[in-house]
Amino acid sequence: MRLTATDVSKSFDDAVLEDVSLGVEPGQVLTIVGPSGTGKTTLLRLFAAFQPPDSGTIAWNGSDLWSLSEAERLRVRRKMSMVFQEPSLFNAPVRRNVAYGIRVRKPWSERLRLGVGGLVGNEPLAESVQTALESVGLAHKAGQNALTLSGGEAQRVAFARALAVDPEIVLLDEPTSNLDPRNTAVLEDAIRRASDRGVTCVLATHDMNQAERVSDHVAFIFDGEVVETGPPAQVFERPTDRRTKRFVEGELLVDSAVEPDPTEPSS
Amino acid sequence: MWRADLGQIQARAGFPENRPLAEAVWVPATGHNMRYIEREITLLSDGGDMSIHRRRFLKAASVGTVLGLAGCSSQQSDGNASPTPNSTQQDDQQGSGQIGDGELVLATTTSTYDTGLLGALNPVFEESFGVTMKTIPKGTGASLRTARDGDADVILVHARNAEDQFMQDGFGVNRRDVMFNDFVIVGPEDDPAGINGMESATDAFATIAEQEAVFVSRGDDSGTNKKELIIWDEAGIEPSGEWYRAIGKGMGDTLVQANESGAYTLADRGTYLSMQDEIELVIHVQGPLKGGPVILKNPYGVMAVNPAKYGDVNYQAAMAYIGFLTSPQGQSMIENYTANGSQLFFPNAIAEEPNFGQYVPQGYSAEQAQSLSRHDKQFLYWVENEVPTNY
Amino acid sequence: MVLLQVQLPDGGWTYVLSIVVVSLKVSLTAVGLSTLLSLPVALLIGFTDFPGKRLLTAVINTGMGFPSVVVGLVVLMLLSNSGPLGTFDLAFTPQAMMASQFVLATPVVMSISLSSVEEVSRSIRDAAYVLGGTRVDVGLVVIKEARYGIVTAILAGFGRAISEVGSILIVGGNIVFSDGQSYTRTLTTAITVEARQGRYELGLVLGVVLLALVLVVNSLGSWIRSKGRGTRAS
Repeated sequence: MRLTATDVSKSFDDAVLEDVSLGVEPGQVLTIVGPSGTGKTTLLRLFAAFQPPDSGTIAWNGSDLWSLSEAERLRVRRKMSMVFQEPSLFNAPVRRNVAYGIRVRKPWSERLRLGVGGLVGNEPLAESVQTALESVGLAHKAGQNALTLSGGEAQRVAFARALAVDPEIVLLDEPTSNLDPRNTAVLEDAIRRASDRGVTCVLATHDMNQAERVSDHVAFIFDGEVVETGPPAQVFERPTDRRTKRFVEGELLVDSAVEPDPTEPSS
Repeated sequence: MWRADLGQIQARAGFPENRPLAEAVWVPATGHNMRYIEREITLLSDGGDMSIHRRRFLKAASVGTVLGLAGCSSQQSDGNASPTPNSTQQDDQQGSGQIGDGELVLATTTSTYDTGLLGALNPVFEESFGVTMKTIPKGTGASLRTARDGDADVILVHARNAEDQFMQDGFGVNRRDVMFNDFVIVGPEDDPAGINGMESATDAFATIAEQEAVFVSRGDDSGTNKKELIIWDEAGIEPSGEWYRAIGKGMGDTLVQANESGAYTLADRGTYLSMQDEIELVIHVQGPLKGGPVILKNPYGVMAVNPAKYGDVNYQAAMAYIGFLTSPQGQSMIENYTANGSQLFFPNAIAEEPNFGQYVPQGYSAEQAQSLSRHDKQFLYWVENEVPTNY
Repeated sequence: MVLLQVQLPDGGWTYVLSIVVVSLKVSLTAVGLSTLLSLPVALLIGFTDFPGKRLLTAVINTGMGFPSVVVGLVVLMLLSNSGPLGTFDLAFTPQAMMASQFVLATPVVMSISLSSVEEVSRSIRDAAYVLGGTRVDVGLVVIKEARYGIVTAILAGFGRAISEVGSILIVGGNIVFSDGQSYTRTLTTAITVEARQGRYELGLVLGVVLLALVLVVNSLGSWIRSKGRGTRAS
């Protein structure tokens, strides 16, 4: 169940990631820290198999994802899910959003049947949907349209949506940067509890305090390379690299090269 | 008008009572269809081939029924012939099923279509021959083009020169004259150009041009338009200027627009009469039917599309339709068709004197120059013989 | 107040009903087929970058304003007995009318669908992908997210089809059977017949029927749109 990146490079306009190697141990919360624009998002997107790396391999249990057939890769993808900085919920009731991942994994005949049934009357709430919503404290809003939620609630629903598919790994890209402290706390709590249940979490953040609160393992990325890894206590209090030290002390808030947004197609 | 009972006719013809040919129907008879039925009875009493006569008799009986009722109802002002309520009784005794693929596509001009004549004729043909008709009303030019493309089986138009070209190019076969009427020059009641009563169409047009009175031209290469251009040509005038408006529309539209603008226009008498209710234009120059110049003649011709050019045209049905239009009963229906109380068309398909000119392009015979004026003479002959003096 | 003198056309309401049926049959089929083609193409164009994409989009947009008579002529020439597709015997049939209206409606449906689809943010697509969706799943999510715009596109395409007269007059031939049942006559072409014969009032009546029809369809569309529950958070 190991997810690894080995000597991975990915660039858009300027070099973003260069020969990055990082392994995700099952069952832990791995936090990737570093200043904005440093390649955290790119790395997460590579893990999520959006696009292949320019060089190097992304591997699942040793198999290079991009040498698999599309169907096999889909199966691997479906062991993971992701939460973004923006909730990106669909224009539908909360329950439908959360159930989405479950639905797409079903065979078409069943999906058609459910779809028709949905037109006629309300479907009973699947158990996993119920559990996921309860874990973020929003089960009472299951019938409400997702776009009417507040920012914090929406992000919590996004997390429930990612959990409902019972993934082995959840990727989270700066999930709380837009949230107020209360919602941040709820989300961090949910992450920890998911981890306790055995879900591996990979979290990207520029907030060191969050990293300290939540993670078992930290990787510091700067300027497109992994500078230092280790338990949070070690990385933050006894950094070995000078850059880590400077980051911890509050400098190096922005990466030296300005990284174009990897979610925008290159023009 | 006296009534005939088919049972009586049957008895008179000597058929045994226990072999009825048709159910008894009441046949209000006009002079015309009784003549036809009598002829059939004579043939029957001659003996001969029973089956052929039986069929012809049934056809005569059913068509005669419709004709009789058509003769009655055409005295209403809207000129519509309602289908006979008795015709359904004849259905199961009709001729055998289909001709060709059972569909006949007729391309005709909008002016012919708009008079409603075909609405009266076609159902009768459909009943008798078991063919479904699809009538496409288009301009003369479009109808001829449709036929040239093989998208129609038969055409009914009124543009002799174009028809001739159509035949010369091998697309049309078996042309027959069907009917005629004439054109009239109409205009506003107050006659601003002062052409009322003129006996020369070319003079009238010349006066209109001189006075620059508003004139609406169809400008659509239709039969009417072609005639209009011929008249301008004869008058030696090329019409242009603000007073001459080519609008590219059908006859009905043109009359309506001329009416709105208080303008002169050239119209076929049939459309004009059928629209008299809607417009206030009056006839200023008569056509040959009422003593006007022969140049305003308007003869209609029907042609089948050459099956050698397009193997899938319904040639048989086309020929059947031509046969129907030019048959005594078809011609009689045309004669009896009225709109707003006036007869619109005069049948001229059949005559005792030979009429070879209808089958070939004009000037086909060796004496080319002569045959053109012969055609005019022919037309006047029809007028003399067919049009009653009190028309 | 002057009452309009209106005499129903020969055949009365049966005639009018058969015309309405033909109008709906032709336009709904044309728009339906158009939608089936346009949605996948819009998804394809919307999410891929390729050289000439901007040109292609411009061409599609231009198609919206294509004169209907020209389309009618081209379709007739193709389907005519003397044309390349003559063997199918489609000239002057309702199928020919569906074909020409398909050509007219598709640029409208495709263009508006395309812009609606492009408005769906990238993050929505990413979310669907990352939750385990295949390309088809992602496409479906996009369509559902863009449903407001897509319904608008379909309604616009229908409007273009139901109210046009130039192309169907040419390819359909405006045919009515002798019993008063319409074969290729629609509301719009029937109005031309009445107008041609100076029966303006009757033409107006038919026009009102046409408007009522369009109103019903658009109301249906609005209802479908509102079924989307909840407004878009801007």
